[in-house]
Order: sequence, then C-alpha cells, then structure tokens
Amino acid sequence: MRDRFGTRRARFAAVALAAVAALVVSASALSGGARSAACGNVVLNENAWAGSTSNVYVVKYVLEKNLGCKVKVTNITEGQPNFQAMADGKIDAVLEDWQNLASFPQYTKNKSVINLGGNGITGVIGWYIPRYLLQQYPQFKTWKGLKGKESVFKSPESGSQGMFLGGDPSYVQKDKALIAGLGLNFKHVVAGAEPAQVARWSQLYKQKKPVIFYWYDPQYLNAQYDLVRVQLPARFKGCQDDEKKGGDPKKYACEYPSYRLDKIISGKFAKSGSPAVSVIRKFKWTSADQNAVANLIAGKKMKPDKAAEQWVKANQAKVKQWLAK
Amino acid sequence: MSVATDVTTVAPVVSHRPWWRGRLVQVAAIVGLMVIAYRAFELEYPWPGSLAWNGLSAELDSFQSWLLDQRSAEDRSIVFAVFDGFATFVDDLVTWLTDGILWLTWLGAAAVGTLVVLRFGGLRAAAIILASFASFAALGLWEASMQTLALMLAAVGLSLLVGVPLGIVAGRSDRFQRAISPVLDAMQIVPAFAYLMPVVILFSVGPAAAVVSTMIYAIPPAVRITSLGIRGVSLNTVEAAASMGSTRRQLLGKVQLPLARRMLLLGVNQTILFALSMVVIAGLIGGGGLGAVVTSGLYSNPALAILGGFAIVIMAMALDRSTEAIANRTDPTKRHVDSTMRRTLRLQTVGIAGAGIAIVAGAKLAGIADIYPDETTGGTVVTAQEWLLAQIQKVLDYVQDPTSWVFGITEPVGNFLLTEALLPLQEFLVGTPWFVTVGGLTLIAFVISGLRPAAMTFLMLVSIGVMGVWPLAMDTLSQVLVATVLTVLIGVTLGVWAAESRTVSKVLRPVNDVLQTLPQLVYIIPFIYLMPVSIVPGIIAGVLYAFPVVTRLVERGVRDVAPEAVEAAGAFGATRRQILTKVKVPLAGDAIMLGVNQGIVMVLAVVVIGGLVGSGGLGYEVAQGLVRGQFGQGVIASLAILALGIALDRVTQGTRRARREGIG
Repeated sequence: MRDRFGTRRARFAAVALAAVAALVVSASALSGGARSAACGNVVLNENAWAGSTSNVYVVKYVLEKNLGCKVKVTNITEGQPNFQAMADGKIDAVLEDWQNLASFPQYTKNKSVINLGGNGITGVIGWYIPRYLLQQYPQFKTWKGLKGKESVFKSPESGSQGMFLGGDPSYVQKDKALIAGLGLNFKHVVAGAEPAQVARWSQLYKQKKPVIFYWYDPQYLNAQYDLVRVQLPARFKGCQDDEKKGGDPKKYACEYPSYRLDKIISGKFAKSGSPAVSVIRKFKWTSADQNAVANLIAGKKMKPDKAAEQWVKANQAKVKQWLAK
Repeated sequence: MSVATDVTTVAPVVSHRPWWRGRLVQVAAIVGLMVIAYRAFELEYPWPGSLAWNGLSAELDSFQSWLLDQRSAEDRSIVFAVFDGFATFVDDLVTWLTDGILWLTWLGAAAVGTLVVLRFGGLRAAAIILASFASFAALGLWEASMQTLALMLAAVGLSLLVGVPLGIVAGRSDRFQRAISPVLDAMQIVPAFAYLMPVVILFSVGPAAAVVSTMIYAIPPAVRITSLGIRGVSLNTVEAAASMGSTRRQLLGKVQLPLARRMLLLGVNQTILFALSMVVIAGLIGGGGLGAVVTSGLYSNPALAILGGFAIVIMAMALDRSTEAIANRTDPTKRHVDSTMRRTLRLQTVGIAGAGIAIVAGAKLAGIADIYPDETTGGTVVTAQEWLLAQIQKVLDYVQDPTSWVFGITEPVGNFLLTEALLPLQEFLVGTPWFVTVGGLTLIAFVISGLRPAAMTFLMLVSIGVMGVWPLAMDTLSQVLVATVLTVLIGVTLGVWAAESRTVSKVLRPVNDVLQTLPQLVYIIPFIYLMPVSIVPGIIAGVLYAFPVVTRLVERGVRDVAPEAVEAAGAFGATRRQILTKVKVPLAGDAIMLGVNQGIVMVLAVVVIGGLVGSGGLGYEVAQGLVRGQFGQGVIASLAILALGIALDRVTQGTRRARREGIG
C-alpha cells in the first residue's frame, strides 16, 4: 500500500515537473518577442465614445512604432471604475476625461492618479439644432428666439410643450435647470445612453423635422450632420453647472463652460520612468484631428489601428513634437 | 428566476372557476375608486417632504467616500487584505484559464471542447459544441470569445462552489430555506449597476470584479435548484435508508446527492445561463472579451456590437444544450451502467484523451499556435466577418431609414402605445394622492393574496416614499404595468398555441433562447430608430425579455391539464376549440397567474436597460449613479426597484388559501 502510494506520488511529481517545464518554455517563447526593454507594457483605456477611441489608437500606434512599447487597450467604463483602475495600477492612462466624477479630488489628493493636463481639445457642450431649421426660423440662433416658439419642437410625448432631448446619463448636464431658469416652455425628455439619443435626433433630422437636443463637440457625427449650437446666455460670476446641487434655477441660467479635456495617468505609471509617460505628457492635437480619425473609425468603419496609421503618416510634424526629448 | 418558476408550477387543479376570477370584480372596484380619487385631487397630494428622509443619499455617499479612503489609506485594515487576496487569486485564475485556452490554439481548444462533450454528452451535443467553436472563429471573434469563456468558467465554478453547499443546507433545513430565500430574491432583482461601484472599490477592476458581479447574479439559481433537487428525492427512499441505520452524512452522500444528480446538473446549466447574461455588464469593469466588444461597439460600430451579441447567444445555446445532454445522460434513473459498459466507457475516455492530446500537439508542431483565425490578414475569416458586418449594416441602414414602409407602421404603433397607454397611466399614478395609491395597492394585495402579503406591500410602498423617490417609482410602475400587460398577452397566446402544436413549440424554443441571452442593448437600439419615442423601446426590451418565461409556464400548464377532463369534454362532443377555451385554459388558470407574477419580476429586471434607452424613472437614476460616481443616488433607486418588485410580487402571488378555495 505504502509502496503504491510512493510510486504514484513520484509519477505525479514527474508529470508536474514536465508541465512546469513546458510552461516555462512556452512563457519564455511568448515573452521573447520584439519587446523593448526601455518601454515595456502600457495599458491605455478606451472609453465608449469614438473620440476616445481615436486618442487611444493614435497614441498606441506612436508608442508601438516609435518606442517599441507593448500597448494593451482596455474598455473599462467611464467614471469611478476608470479612476479606481488607475489608482490600482490596472490601467496606465486615460487620454480624455471630461471632469464629471464627483470623487475626483479623492483620487488626486493622494497622488494615486495624476492629471497631466489638456490633450489640446476644448470640449464644448450645449443645445444643438439642425442648420435647416434656421431657414424657417432664423431667430433660433439664440435662446431668446426660442421663447414663445417652443411648440415648434412638440412631439407626442411632450404634449403642447416643446421637446428637449437630454443627454447620456454619464455626461455633465444641467438642462432641466437651464430650461427652468430661462423660463422656456420645454419638456426635458431623457433619451438615454448616447446611441439611443443619436437614434432619436438623427431620425428626426432625416425627416427634416424640428429637433433640439443636448450635444457636444468634438464628436464625429458633427461631420455627418450639419448642426448649429444655440447661443445661451453668457457665463456670469457664480453661475452653477451641477444641477444635482439644486437651488434656484436662475443660478444655472448661463451656457456650459468650455472643458479642457484632460489626460489622466496612474500614479504608479508616472513613477515608472517609462518613456511613454513623456509622449503622453506631450500628446496634443485638435478637434479637427480627432474628428478626422473618429470619422474614419465610426463613420467609415475602418479598423482603429488602420485609421491611426493613416493619420500618423499624414501628420508626421505633430507626431515629432510628441516624441521630442 | 425562470428556474424557480419551472419547478414550482402548481399541480393541475380541477375546478370550473380559477380561484382568482371572482376577485377580479373586487380589484376592478378598487381601481375604480382610485380613478375617482385621481379625478378629484389630481396632483394635490404628492408624497409629503416631511415623510421623506432626504439625508439618505448624502449618508450613502459619505459611506462610499469613507470606503474609498480606507481602501487607499497607508495602514489598511486586514479586511482589505482579504479582499485583495481574493481579487489576486481570481485575476490569476482567469488569466491562467485564458492563457491556457489560447495556448491550446484554436484547433486544439475546439478539439478538446468537442471531445469532452462527446464523451459525456453524446454525438449531438458534441456537434453543437464544434459548430459553436467554428462560428466564433468565423465571426472573427475568437480571442474575445475565449476570454469570455474563461471568465465564465471561473465565475460558474466559483458560483457552484458557494451555491451548491448552500443549496444542500437549504434542501435539508426549512428554516435555512426561509431565511435565505429573500436574500436570493434581492440578489436577482437589485440591478447590477448598483453594486458595481462597491465591487470596483473592493476588488478593483479586472477579471476579479467581473467574476464577483457575475457570481452575485448566478449563485441564486445554483442554491435554488440544488435545494429543490434534494427536496425532490422521494421521502420513502430517505426514510428507508434512515431506517436501515444510515447516518445523516451517509444519507446525504449515498442517497440524496446521487438521486438528485440530474437536478444538480440542471443547476449547473441554469447557473451558466445566468452567468452569461452578465457578460456585457462584466465588460464594463474589466471583464473584457465579448462584453467589451458589445459595449464599445454600441457607440462607434453597432454592427460589430450585434455580431458580439450573437457570439454570446451561440455560447449560451451551446453550453445549454451540452450541459442538458450531459445531465440527461448521467441520470441514474434513465441509464444503467453495467461492468462491460463501464469498460467501454473507460476505453472511450482514454481514446478521447489521446485524440485530444494528439490534436493539440499536432497543432502546436504545425505552428498554428501563433495564428488566430481572426488575425490572418486577407484570410478567409476576415472576409467572412466583413461580409457579415456588411450584411448587418445593410439591415441597420434599412431600419434607420425613416422613409421605409416598416417605419410607416412602427412609428404610429409606438406613438399609440405612448399617448394611449403609457402617458395616461403615468399621469394617473403620479397624480393620484399618495395615500390613495398606497391604500389601493395594499387592498388589491389583500384581495388577491391575503393579509401578510398586503402588509408587506404596504411596507414596501411606504419605504419607497420614505427614500424620496415616490414620483420616479410611480413612473417606473406605470411602465412595468404596460409592459406586463403586453408580456402576458403575447406570452399566454404563444404558450397556448405551443401547447397545442409541437411545431410551434419547436420553433419557439430557439427564439426564446435568443431573446433571453442576447444582450438587450444590442437589439433595442435598432428599435429606437423604428419607434422613436422615449419609454416605448424600454417597454419592448422588457416584453421581449419576459414573454418567453410566460410562454414556457403557460405551455406547461395547458399541457398538464388532466387528460380525463379533456377526454370527457371530447366525449360530450366539444370541438377542439371549445376544449381549448372552455376546458384547458380555465383549468390552467393557476399557471397563467404564475406567469403574470413571473412576467412582472422579469420586466423589472430590465428596468435599468430601459433607463439607458430613454425610459427615465428609476432605471435612469441607477445608470447615472454608476458613471457619475453618485453612489447614494444609484443605491436608493436600486432599493426602490427591489421594493417595487417585492410589492408587485406580493400583489400577484395569490395565496395558498386562495388556491385551496379554488379547489373546493
């Protein structure tokens, strides 16, 4: 009995050894590729909108081609999950943050997440209408022209009021307070996540019907649809933007601020000394650049890697600046 | 939830009037009074601010930020070390599984999967598995599919590790069963979006967080079915074994577990299906794989998202059919294994293992290791994916065209639903004085289900008010009611039809499977183009998700009607149609009522998805809570959904007493 047990154990040990050996061999074969010692692995997170995809894949292309980094792209959702992932070193960088997370200061305070500043693009949020509406109602250029004409935008669900299509639940918005503060007769209708909201307004656009909605720039669809931003009252001192805080809607009655879209990196990555940090720090481009790439990806359905390659090859001057020492 | 329903179907009752029919008049009277109150005092009595706890949200927010501070503090408490350890363990486990499967190469993985199923599940099941592996490759989603498969294997394995022992205890102790069952209900009704945030703080992002959130949803069926299996073992057998002097432990190991084996395997089957319905949500917090394909595709390439959705369906159907086949084949009551057969089986095992190793080794030596079918540039697979994407895009383009004749039908239908059903009901529920609504619903619960359910309903409604989300909850309730009515109409019709015709039943099964496993966001976005009014697409999502369960229950109920009753009616010269409408459907009343009850619960499960496609109400609050880091808002709305679910369940569950009256 004892004997048998002994041989069985020996056999098990032999099998285990062989398995470990096989694993070691295969692991070294896997890692022995073209990985450069200087850069190593970089994890970039792609957020749901096409602009974010463009940032990530262009930077990925540059890091891989010029520094020999191995770049992994993750798809962790915006907000808390993004930031916790950076704090834990699970992802290294997010290249476009719209500053809408309530607990943001908690992460930057202990340097587990570091803000590297803007990516060169200014985010604009506002109320948009299709340009064709201006032919019949030129006064819609500003919010004052909307007053008294709200019923132009009426729909089955807004009754006699005009319908205002709200934005994606994750985006910064204060439209309910704005509508109340400006004394407009709109019913704020939530359209849901961005693909759902796009479905709503683009369907009306195609029928050349009136529609007014929450929208932003840069956005690749702005290249496909001719939209105009309605001018809202200018910003005044003490104007509020977070409608969750409540209070007098008059305090919110000004246009949205312009957003600097920030590059955020993980504290661990910043300390790693990777040359990729410097490229990400210098990475800067324009709305037009981003929209061009995003339109290739989301409009023309090109693979993101291919779209990035095409843009980088045509814009070597910009890329050189990112790579400068 | 479909699980519990499958097994709790009530025994056929022979009576001329379903027990609930006389009560409908009373319910109608109560509703009538509520309408009068609404007409008299519209919007005059919203939920009073003095009865709402406004600080709750802030309290919850500060809890979250406390948790976050604790998590990132220098001297962390031991509790976090435990969570970290678990997270690292699961992360490593999933990484190993993924690397292991990918190491096998696509040829090897397909061969191993097929051969294993061939050995335990038979030829048909093996063919299905092979076809599914082939389609992952053909769809060009090989690597993503394998990541998801690895994640699911880990999540299902751990769910069973927790769920089966709990189920065994619940099967043997009534007290434990009673204690755990509301917890299981809560785990299934509370939307995943609500607990994603604490999960992310505790387990960070990555496979571990994805596995934990999946487990929360997939453990309940494992517990429930195991318990049912243990309870299903005939009492006589257990007593006989006990009288021969078996200890409790022997009883479990030698009698109860072996006899419940088929049920246990069915539990595995259901756990897999529930786990797969979490793939997309797991993708949001680092689960990767097909979930990430779907979520990132939704914004920039909807055709790809749809393709990813179908890969999930294929995986679900393949795993469902093969585990079902394995469950049936290993059923000791169906199959006797003698010694010669055992020897053949052993030979088969050896042969199959040999073939598997040979194929893997061959694939490795031939250098397939580095080539994935979706990566060969210009290869046939790439073109297959591109062709499919182009076809899906064509359909999408057609759907998005407002001049098509389909749109000419769907748009007015959507508008009709909105203006004639949803908006009036919403105005009614929001506008009725709050005490009338609470009182009315409590009374209805009392009439239909009895005193204790009525008390529970009252408690739940009041707590919704206290949490300060009364109008939102009433908005959601109006949508749930409309969706339930549609669900029951479609579900009952199809269920009765399927019970009458084998062909219909056969056609419906795969349709039902697709509707239950295809991620709702994937098919609901096209609906928004067809019915561009908020709320309606969310209702459609709820109906499409819930009606298969109702269909299944009703089909079963009508089939199970005592054949004597049907024969007797036939002998009196009743036509087929008369038998159906006068005998079968009334006799299946209980099953139909159970269908209503389950339909409501399933509709509630989709409320958050509704929030993402424009339904507003509680679902929107939950979804926004996650992405904006507003923990309190998300939790409160989720608790309100749970409270609404419990209240509606109690209103419609009926009572044992009422059922007994029906029999008498």
